[in-house]
Amino acid sequence: MKLSAEARDVVETCMRQRRIGDKERAEIEAVIAALPQDRVLLAKNVVSNPVGDLPRYSIHIRLQHMLTFTTFLTLAFTGLPIHFFEAVWAEPFNSVLGGVGITRIVHRTIAVLMVLSMVYHLMTITLGPWAQWRAGRLDWRRTMLPNWKDLRDLRADVRYFAGRGDMRPEMDKFNYKQKIHYFAAAFGNLVMVVSGTSFLFPEFWNWLLPAAIASEWQELMRLSHPHEALLALLVIAFWHWYNVHLAPGRFPMQWTFLTGRITREHQIEEHFLEYLRNLVELPEERRAVIDMLESRELVAEAAPGGKRR
Amino acid sequence: MTNNLMPRTVSSCALWLLLAFASLDAAAAAAPASGPGFSDSEGCLLCHKYPRIGRVTDEGARRSYYIMPEVFAKTVHRNVPCRDCHTEIRELPHKPVTRGVTCDTECHSVKNPATGKPFSHKPIYEAYRASVHGRDKQAKGTDGDKPYCVSCHTNPLYNPQELAPPAAITDRCTLCHEDRNFVNRWYNHTSRRIREVRRTPEQIVQLCSTCHDDQKMVQRHQQQAKVDGRPLGAKFPIAVNSYEESFHGKMVRYGYGAAANCLSCHADRKNYYLSVHEIRPSRDPKSPVHADRRLETCRQCHTRADVNYASLDPHPTSAKGLNAFRYYAEMIYNIIGNVVIAGLVGLSLFETYGRWRDGVCWRLLHGSSWRRNSRRGRDRVV
Repeated sequence: MKLSAEARDVVETCMRQRRIGDKERAEIEAVIAALPQDRVLLAKNVVSNPVGDLPRYSIHIRLQHMLTFTTFLTLAFTGLPIHFFEAVWAEPFNSVLGGVGITRIVHRTIAVLMVLSMVYHLMTITLGPWAQWRAGRLDWRRTMLPNWKDLRDLRADVRYFAGRGDMRPEMDKFNYKQKIHYFAAAFGNLVMVVSGTSFLFPEFWNWLLPAAIASEWQELMRLSHPHEALLALLVIAFWHWYNVHLAPGRFPMQWTFLTGRITREHQIEEHFLEYLRNLVELPEERRAVIDMLESRELVAEAAPGGKRR
Repeated sequence: MTNNLMPRTVSSCALWLLLAFASLDAAAAAAPASGPGFSDSEGCLLCHKYPRIGRVTDEGARRSYYIMPEVFAKTVHRNVPCRDCHTEIRELPHKPVTRGVTCDTECHSVKNPATGKPFSHKPIYEAYRASVHGRDKQAKGTDGDKPYCVSCHTNPLYNPQELAPPAAITDRCTLCHEDRNFVNRWYNHTSRRIREVRRTPEQIVQLCSTCHDDQKMVQRHQQQAKVDGRPLGAKFPIAVNSYEESFHGKMVRYGYGAAANCLSCHADRKNYYLSVHEIRPSRDPKSPVHADRRLETCRQCHTRADVNYASLDPHPTSAKGLNAFRYYAEMIYNIIGNVVIAGLVGLSLFETYGRWRDGVCWRLLHGSSWRRNSRRGRDRVV
């Protein structure tokens, strides 16, 4: 495979940061050269373990996901019957959860846990990159920070879905979809915390804000809290769960949130730049992919010993 | 004059006709062997003990005048002779009643033990008459929509806590007061006040809603106010809906009684029992929800409330004319919400379509989805 300039830069950066020696560099280059130019063919032919092949999420991120997942759903289930009080299901649902005398305590307690989870996450996403930076291994493209490439990836992906592109773009560890989702969730969390505190501590917020906007602020918060909750729930139900459970190739479930590992097939299809880093960082992955290519006679022609493609 | 008398004459005839039929029930309706349970020194039960006594009004409504002795004997008015309230009645058989009972009548037979004067509801009645709810007993039109005393004071007879007063207490009383029935009645009378038997917050909201949530009634009052050229509160038409939308309303609905109900704000906590009778419109400076008193009212529960806090709307609404800010904010929220969901679902469907064309499919086993042949040709090497 002849790498694009972007992919070449990712590989070079990774090898430089990991101080890869000449011998290993030659080995990596040989594996990359052996990859078929057609990434779709590569993704279709690799062997994947459903519970994951390649490292993706640390234990901290997985714990934070579990915390977000459990706190969000508990908060939604205890909060929505209050907002949709006129719905047929609201009263029985609220009663099943113990009645408002219980759910209001549960809602507030879990909200505190969610805030703590946010703090934990903020510490992870600041201390983690800081440690990487200290070690000289930080590559910003590997983080959630949005960049112009995301827009180009979106455009290229849309072309591919429409049948006008041959392959999906070479996306990084976090692609445009995940960044949208992440920042939407982060913004949503912030909105929920701020609006939630304005209900829990209305006197404080009204003391803090100037008189001219105090009332409007509270009105906005009264709207924001349920709207954001409902929007988040719908996004989770219709988008997140679809992408991680129901989408073809992910069905019935991606195990990444539990195992922290992503399937090889998925990594190549949607996070090819990260897969290249895997080839640099994981010698066993280089051996696995070469074995697969040779057994299926898919070694690129340009590579030494290449037979097909 | 003749025209006015005719219907009444007909009514009277109907009354006596019914009475004649009712007499068939006389044997069945005979007072219990132990007596009626209250003093009927005026002999009213001579007629009113018959279950079918009543009449058909000029409007066609059927009215029952039956007094159930055993029930009346348990009411709060059991010790008041009938004619203390039914003052219009001067002989038997009496003439058709035109004025009815008003609750400001002085009871000549019952003395107020505190003052020694004839007992009367007059002071509280006058407070009620001065309130926004005040009306004549016989009021017609929109005034007739307003609640009269009995609209709220239904005096429920069944109170399980009063069925069997605790003997540990009443046994001691009977040593001197001798009559256990008397002792039980006094025990119930005083303990009811100690227990603060009154409507629950949900019942209070329900009671106020019977009128304030009646949109036809609300419209009648709006039209009448327009004709009279008098102001009407902006929240008057949506008082119940907007309260139900509020946190207070939702909490009360779900049985959390500590949240504010209608009377928590619209009545004065300092003199609650009088104040509930003299509800005033928010434009009245004496109203607890008047702009000048709102902070003081909020502080009854929200002790740290400040002026800004008192400006918060306890009856939130997104009606454009009442809260344009909220109206447009909600509109924007709805647009954003719909666009986001439609966009994301659309993108997912589009993505699925694109990947499906390339051979990706749903598989439960083997950990791979690239099993279906692609239209683009690049298939898995088997």
